[in-house]
Amino acid sequence: MSYAYLFKYIIIGDTGVGKSCLLLQFTDKRFQPVHDLTIGVEFGARMITIDGKQIKLQIWDTAGQESFRSITRSYYRGAAGALLVYDITRRDTFNHLTTWLEDARQHSNSNMVIMLIGNKSDLESRREVKKEEGEAFAREHGLIFMETSAKTAANVEEAFINTAKEIYEKIQEGVFDINNEANGIKIGPQHSPSNPALGGGGGAGGSQAGGGCC
Amino acid sequence: MAFLQWRRFNFFDKEVVKDEGGQVFDGLKGIDISVCASGRGQIVIGDYEGNIHFLNRNLELSTFKAYELRITHLCQVKQQGILVTVGDDEPGTNPIIKVWNLDKRDKAGNPTCSRIVRAVPGKEASPVSALAVHENLNLMAIGFQDGTVVVYRGDVTRDRHSKSRVIHHTGSSVTGLAFRQAAKVNHLFVVTRDSVQSYNLTAKDHKEELDAFGCEPRCSVLSDASQDNQFVIGRPDAVYFYQTDGRGPCLVFEGEKKTLQWYRGYLVVVGKENKSMPRPTPGGQSRDMSIVNVYDIQNKFIAYSAPLPDVTDVICEWGSLYILTGENRLMQLIEKDIQTKLEMLFKKNLYVLAINLAKSQHFDQDGLVDIFTQYGDQKYSKGDYDGAINQYVKTIGKLEPSYVIRKFLDAQRIHNLTAYLQSLHKAQLATEDHTTLLLNCYTKLKDTNKLDQFIYSKDKEVDFDVETAIKVCRQAGYYDHALSLAERHSQHEWYLKIQLEDIKDYQKALTYISKLDFYEAESNMKKYGKILMSEVPQQTTELLKRLCTDYRPSDIPLADEQTLQGGMPARIHKAPADEFIHIFVSNSSKLMEFLEHMIKVQPSSPSLLYNTLLELYLHDMAHDGSQKAELDRKSMDLLQNTDAHYDVNQALVLCQMHNYKAGILYLYERERLYQQILRYHMDHDEYVHIINTCKKFGGQDPNLWVQALAYFARKEENCRTQMMEVLQHIDRHNLLPPLLVVQTLAHNSTATLAVVKDYITRRLQQENDQIQEDERLIQQYRQETEKMRSQIQELKTSAKIFQVSKCSICNHPLELPSVHFLCQHSFHQHCFEGYAENETECPVCMPENRKILDIIRAQEQHKELHEQFHHQLERASDGFSVVADYFGRGVFNKVTLITDSPAAPPPTGGNPFMEPPDVKPASKPAPKPAAAAAANPFLDEDDANNPFLDEPESTNPFGDEF
Repeated sequence: MSYAYLFKYIIIGDTGVGKSCLLLQFTDKRFQPVHDLTIGVEFGARMITIDGKQIKLQIWDTAGQESFRSITRSYYRGAAGALLVYDITRRDTFNHLTTWLEDARQHSNSNMVIMLIGNKSDLESRREVKKEEGEAFAREHGLIFMETSAKTAANVEEAFINTAKEIYEKIQEGVFDINNEANGIKIGPQHSPSNPALGGGGGAGGSQAGGGCC
Repeated sequence: MAFLQWRRFNFFDKEVVKDEGGQVFDGLKGIDISVCASGRGQIVIGDYEGNIHFLNRNLELSTFKAYELRITHLCQVKQQGILVTVGDDEPGTNPIIKVWNLDKRDKAGNPTCSRIVRAVPGKEASPVSALAVHENLNLMAIGFQDGTVVVYRGDVTRDRHSKSRVIHHTGSSVTGLAFRQAAKVNHLFVVTRDSVQSYNLTAKDHKEELDAFGCEPRCSVLSDASQDNQFVIGRPDAVYFYQTDGRGPCLVFEGEKKTLQWYRGYLVVVGKENKSMPRPTPGGQSRDMSIVNVYDIQNKFIAYSAPLPDVTDVICEWGSLYILTGENRLMQLIEKDIQTKLEMLFKKNLYVLAINLAKSQHFDQDGLVDIFTQYGDQKYSKGDYDGAINQYVKTIGKLEPSYVIRKFLDAQRIHNLTAYLQSLHKAQLATEDHTTLLLNCYTKLKDTNKLDQFIYSKDKEVDFDVETAIKVCRQAGYYDHALSLAERHSQHEWYLKIQLEDIKDYQKALTYISKLDFYEAESNMKKYGKILMSEVPQQTTELLKRLCTDYRPSDIPLADEQTLQGGMPARIHKAPADEFIHIFVSNSSKLMEFLEHMIKVQPSSPSLLYNTLLELYLHDMAHDGSQKAELDRKSMDLLQNTDAHYDVNQALVLCQMHNYKAGILYLYERERLYQQILRYHMDHDEYVHIINTCKKFGGQDPNLWVQALAYFARKEENCRTQMMEVLQHIDRHNLLPPLLVVQTLAHNSTATLAVVKDYITRRLQQENDQIQEDERLIQQYRQETEKMRSQIQELKTSAKIFQVSKCSICNHPLELPSVHFLCQHSFHQHCFEGYAENETECPVCMPENRKILDIIRAQEQHKELHEQFHHQLERASDGFSVVADYFGRGVFNKVTLITDSPAAPPPTGGNPFMEPPDVKPASKPAPKPAAAAAANPFLDEDDANNPFLDEPESTNPFGDEF
């Protein structure tokens, strides 16, 4: 399976907010109501298409438990994107966001795109964290925000893909050094980094030829 | 703190390996084991004395000396009988690689050594710390304690063509090596104490730094395909997985690891027992205890976990897992069968895990369905109906749906049932009953949305029985749904039934019918025409008109593409109009309209149409006075229409029933039933009409007058004038013998003699005249006969003088030889011979004679025809004249001729004057007396005035009676 880019993601957040379920929904398109505790770090991959380019997402789903923090932290480095997940039915998971964010910023590269996700949006009746609060937090910390439901698959796809888009834009803007794999971005085997920009030269040639013809 | 571990099960049974005699196997006792390997049905053990021991399945041990000092590494290639060893033959750091061919034995029965090479990392010697041989026997990697990895390319078993190359050098001792082959790309994983790398051996040994920490020796292993052939290393904090291009998952299995082994999807980790746990020391002596954990990585549980004393190695061979423990005891871990495992999971209600496990073990569908069913049952019993139904849905196709349906029939759980039934339909496994049930559920739940979805959304394929669905919807009062279903699936009957019987939208039903194709439209009109007629008569009539003339579905353009392109126009269908008449049973005006239209458009319509139309006219005429004139005209037009195919008899009956005089009379006349017309008038005592009728039709049927006479004769009233007139006609045409007239009139008591006086007188006068005429004729004939008789007599008796001087043919003076005939004709012989057809007849008289003879013969032929005679006799008004006529033809003169025949002159004597002598009258023996008589020359006696010629006329005086 060839790809243009490979982006590495991590999913972080308190235990039980639905990180593994988001990953399962995204990679396998299914929902498992009973999910065992994640011991360490799990891994998933999926191909997506952005701007006509195949992009492979490698996602590490980390354990939310405090006791695994030392191991999971080692996975922050080398991630281009992070999904910071909280549970809209549990305020404490929202309250811990600051800690997670600090942790992520400290252990990852500065350009990492972080998406804030309020999961379990299907459980509207048990909501404890308003959507506006999430939005406000995201605005304050420069994050993208989205509410999702791993159960109904609402916005799950979008969450992952929007993050990828953001990273892709940053690449286009030249913010990321794509040759440094520590940034969590890899160029696909057939896309050599020395690929010159053909657009300008080709266009100029074309207009010249057109003038001559007429 | 949460219990941060996977679930633990006991999916393996631990057993001490025993030999055949049931004794604990202790064949390895005393061997100072340095390294173990396995493959090709045997366990290979190297010891610190340079020996290699093979242990086969039957626990038979064989040993040979491979090195002088010791063996440090073993690698048994799985697919071929090749064993690669690393050991020392001499003291000091001088490791030697030996390649053994186990299939080729020397005289002593030991494997032959096919290659011996010194393992040197570079300039300085270093002890070997890791060995890996690629299964394709073309790659071998040796890791050294100084952190060097040497890869040998080329045939492993030979020295030739083998190249070695250092691909890796760090300061840290190499602790593990593993080859990974995937799609023709070979990678080598190298793990040292503080790093993990992968090398792409196919692409210029491209190096990928995977991690910045490593593991102890024997704490790395390559997983199998179930985990994507990831490289696994065990560290005290966790087990880390690596792909060739980066990190994979990481599982926190805490504890110091001694050995990692991969066995059929399981990761076997041998760890040092947690020192913090107080441990009783049986037997006083403290031994190192090890913990053996078997992890199912895919399904995330611990399949086995037990402390074992001092594990030295874990060996996978003979389909099982063997553990070499302290004192060289061999333990076997026997995996329980899947059924047992599942039952264990069921007991703990871990159905999800059971399902995952079954799937990962490629459990068959039936088995999975069993699990789903049990899971469903369990959820059901716990009251989690939603969950239960989700499980039951997965059993669709295997489990009998009724099992599930019965459980959810309770009204409380109808939405669960609905979900199940929906899935059943989606799987296309629903029967009619299921459809019924589902629709009933929808209607019970008043879930119109779902119903809409079910019925309307399935445009392309239908996974339910349409008819059932229509029925149910109809029963439940969801007419619109039923209608749309019926319309979409062309269930015309249902559509109309619902439209007419439930919704009562007749107009729509009618429009619908008009869109159907011809046959459908026809049959449906027959079926529902009555209702439609009673509700929307105008439109129904219009449709029927169309249907019976040139029907085409109303939504098809008049000229379709085919016709436009010059193709043959589609066949025009016409329904027989007579089959629709009954529809109009209570609406005669529409029927009239319909029939008039039909007759106008199709004059060749069957008679029933005309009959019915006539009946309608007459009926209306009889009951509705207002339009009498109009109807009268119409019905007369109909009757007089020559194209009208009405049944005359029926029309007559109708006219009579409704007492429609003009029609009756017209029909009688048309059928030439003049008698009937007369009788009709008689019945109505219309004398003028009787006379008129007689006058009008008397020409065709004279009997009319007779009947009229009889009628008037019976009348007691005074109808003298009529009687007179009738008699006049009877008289004129001589219709009745006078006697009968008198007899007829005699019945009438009022008729006077004056009535018949004229008639009688006239008749008598006529009779008298006739008699006189007849007598005169008789007289005349008698005279003629007499005259002829005398002529004959004269011919017979007196001589005849031939004194003709000229030949009757050439008119020249007669000269000899000549021929003379009694008829006074004479000829030159040469003239006679030239003209005469035969020698006995006069050529001049012959044509005349022939004519007479032919007439006679013709008359004689007639007399044979008795049939004709009888027929004529019966038909003739005057039988006597017929008989007389036949007399005249000679019917009865046969007898006289026979009696005459002997009296006839002999032929020879008959021609005494014949000049040519050779006359052969003898050749005529007169078998037929009539013919002989005809040939008789005496008949020629009278020249043109042949008396026989006149005979038929003259002897038939009665034939000319009128």
